[in-house]
Amino acid sequence: MTEPVLEVEHLSVDYVVGAGRFHALRDVSVRVERGHVVGIVGETGCGKSTLARAIPRLLPRPPAEVKSGRIRFNGVDLLEVPAWKLPTVRGTGIGMIFQEPLNSLNPAFRVSVQIAEAIHIRKLREAGAATRTSSGGEPFDYSRGPEVSRSEALGHPFAVGGTAAETVVEKQANRRATREEVLEFLRLVRINDPETIVNLYPHELSGGMRQRVMIAMALSARPSLLIADEPTSALDVTIQAQVLTLMKELIDEVHASILFITHDLGVVAEMADEIGVMYAGHLVEYGPVQEIFEHPRHPYTAALLQANPTRYKADGPLSSISGSVPNLSRLPPGCPFHPRCPIARPSCGADPGPSLELVPGATDGPSSHRVACPYFSEVASPV
Amino acid sequence: MGRSLFDLAIFIGKRLLYLIPVLFGVVVITFFFTHLAVSDPCSIWFPRSKPATLAACRITFGLNQPLWVQFWDYLSNLLSGNWGTSPQGVPVYSTIATALPATVELVLASLVLMIFIGIPLGVVAASAAGRWGDHLVRIFYLSGWATPTYLGAIVAAILVAPALGLPTSGEYNSFTPPFPQVTHMSVVDALLAGNLPWASDAMLHLIMPATVLAFINMGIATRMTRSSMLEVLPLDYINSARMKGLSEFVVLYKHALRNSLISTTTVLGVTAGGLLSGTIVVEEVFAWPGIGSYAFNAITGYNFAGVIAIVVVFAIGVVVGNLIADILYGILDPRVEWR
Repeated sequence: MTEPVLEVEHLSVDYVVGAGRFHALRDVSVRVERGHVVGIVGETGCGKSTLARAIPRLLPRPPAEVKSGRIRFNGVDLLEVPAWKLPTVRGTGIGMIFQEPLNSLNPAFRVSVQIAEAIHIRKLREAGAATRTSSGGEPFDYSRGPEVSRSEALGHPFAVGGTAAETVVEKQANRRATREEVLEFLRLVRINDPETIVNLYPHELSGGMRQRVMIAMALSARPSLLIADEPTSALDVTIQAQVLTLMKELIDEVHASILFITHDLGVVAEMADEIGVMYAGHLVEYGPVQEIFEHPRHPYTAALLQANPTRYKADGPLSSISGSVPNLSRLPPGCPFHPRCPIARPSCGADPGPSLELVPGATDGPSSHRVACPYFSEVASPV
Repeated sequence: MGRSLFDLAIFIGKRLLYLIPVLFGVVVITFFFTHLAVSDPCSIWFPRSKPATLAACRITFGLNQPLWVQFWDYLSNLLSGNWGTSPQGVPVYSTIATALPATVELVLASLVLMIFIGIPLGVVAASAAGRWGDHLVRIFYLSGWATPTYLGAIVAAILVAPALGLPTSGEYNSFTPPFPQVTHMSVVDALLAGNLPWASDAMLHLIMPATVLAFINMGIATRMTRSSMLEVLPLDYINSARMKGLSEFVVLYKHALRNSLISTTTVLGVTAGGLLSGTIVVEEVFAWPGIGSYAFNAITGYNFAGVIAIVVVFAIGVVVGNLIADILYGILDPRVEWR
């Protein structure tokens, strides 16, 4: 069995704001196999985005604080990588698509410049892989290259294309090649007329276009793991459908490993191989997508599936989960879901229950069906 | 309206047209202030003179005529290029033509220091917000901000400059450089003449006054950069730049600073325009033959024509500083259209 691309183990993250301490993530474990798409579902404020940003270490250090856990990416624990080496993990290693296409492109640079930057960094690292050998010692094979020199990590602020030793002709050729590649990636995300689009600024593009550019930018680094943090939530419904279709097609074309974060169950149902359901910073259920949809074992998952408007029937009101999401600084004792749980018993308020236990009948494996509720047998499958 | 060069030209033309009412107002106000404040300037210019001499003086300078006639004469002379003379008969225009470039040189030099020291300090402060780096930067720029110009200039001249072995007086070591003064900017003239020893001498003379000006006025650039960096840094495009694998240096100084510079530029343009009139004390202390020294002498010598011309030049400085800031603003921010 091959090693997974990403293995998050027992990750806990707090936000320390003023006197308060918010438990954004509690003991979360996620595993992304090579070529798989893993969906993370949950309500607003359940810690999905914190998880997405914690993996490439994007969380700002005050207020965020990683309490415990490990983030193993291609075998390296990212939490132990020193801050100045983090750029070597990002881009070619982990790429990311953000929620707000309005804010995720730099307003001051043309589309061509922003994508060329990503391509340029990948080329530098690929060139490094060909000429430089690893200095040995620590395993530093984050993605596709050996160790990157400090000067490279410090950067190449303004150059697009090549090292100082290059001749002018080579530079021009490189620049042309990079531009060709930019156009190629814009075509990959089905942008019509990429020759015009590359020369535009982000504010001259529509929301859907910007999100396509964002996807092209993330893909152009050819990351081994792509994290998509609610890539369609900020778009209107028709554009959402287009972008989702695009992403579904791209999953087959580029064969990427993807961690897909969303609040939309319908989205994960179509894209993911495995899904994890999050509630109040806890992962409450994890397993193959079909099994979770057909036999949800956690009362929260069942309620979430019930509340999905696509299951709306003409004869009744929309179903919803009573109560509201708990305040993350004052989580209820015991199971975080028990105040809203239809099958809760008195002991649920004291005993936090198991953290993800294998569902009986499921074969034991890294991505088999697990649930964090001891009374899972009482959870009814949705009709 | 758009972003073509044609739009830019129209934009600049319009802004220069605004100069006309501004300058007219400035001339009216300074003219009447100076002439109403002093009832008989001739007796101040030439004290202990015979009444006949004073009467002759009044006729020469037209002071025996009604005020509005005097104003009309002054204005028509100004429009025909005659800026008047000092009481001693020195033409105002030629004095300003030699003094203004010296001040512009001083202001540009301190602007360079403010840009290349003040702005990076702002970036450092923002990226270390709330930590010791931020506090150190704040102590530095606040101490500059809080320093009175006369004190800073004098301390620099009598304590700092001797310690560093830097000259503290004038533009060159000698008053008579062996080359023509084409631009009246000391370094530029020496370089135009290809005289490197004199050019380096001129630069050494420029260091102290420019540093004092920059130190005192740098805070605004640092503070502005810091606060707009803090607005930009939490935005998603900074994270998406990080997620390309760019180093923190490139993320800060290319992606974040480029967007923060927009407000810093505006402030710096206004500051630079205002600095023209802010050099008076520094020029006096460092014997810099600029417009500040001239302003000081014109005011203390009741040189009305000189005072009005200087105020007009300062007003032009502020307007042009603003105009340049607006142009840079449009260049830095692709969303701006010239209007």
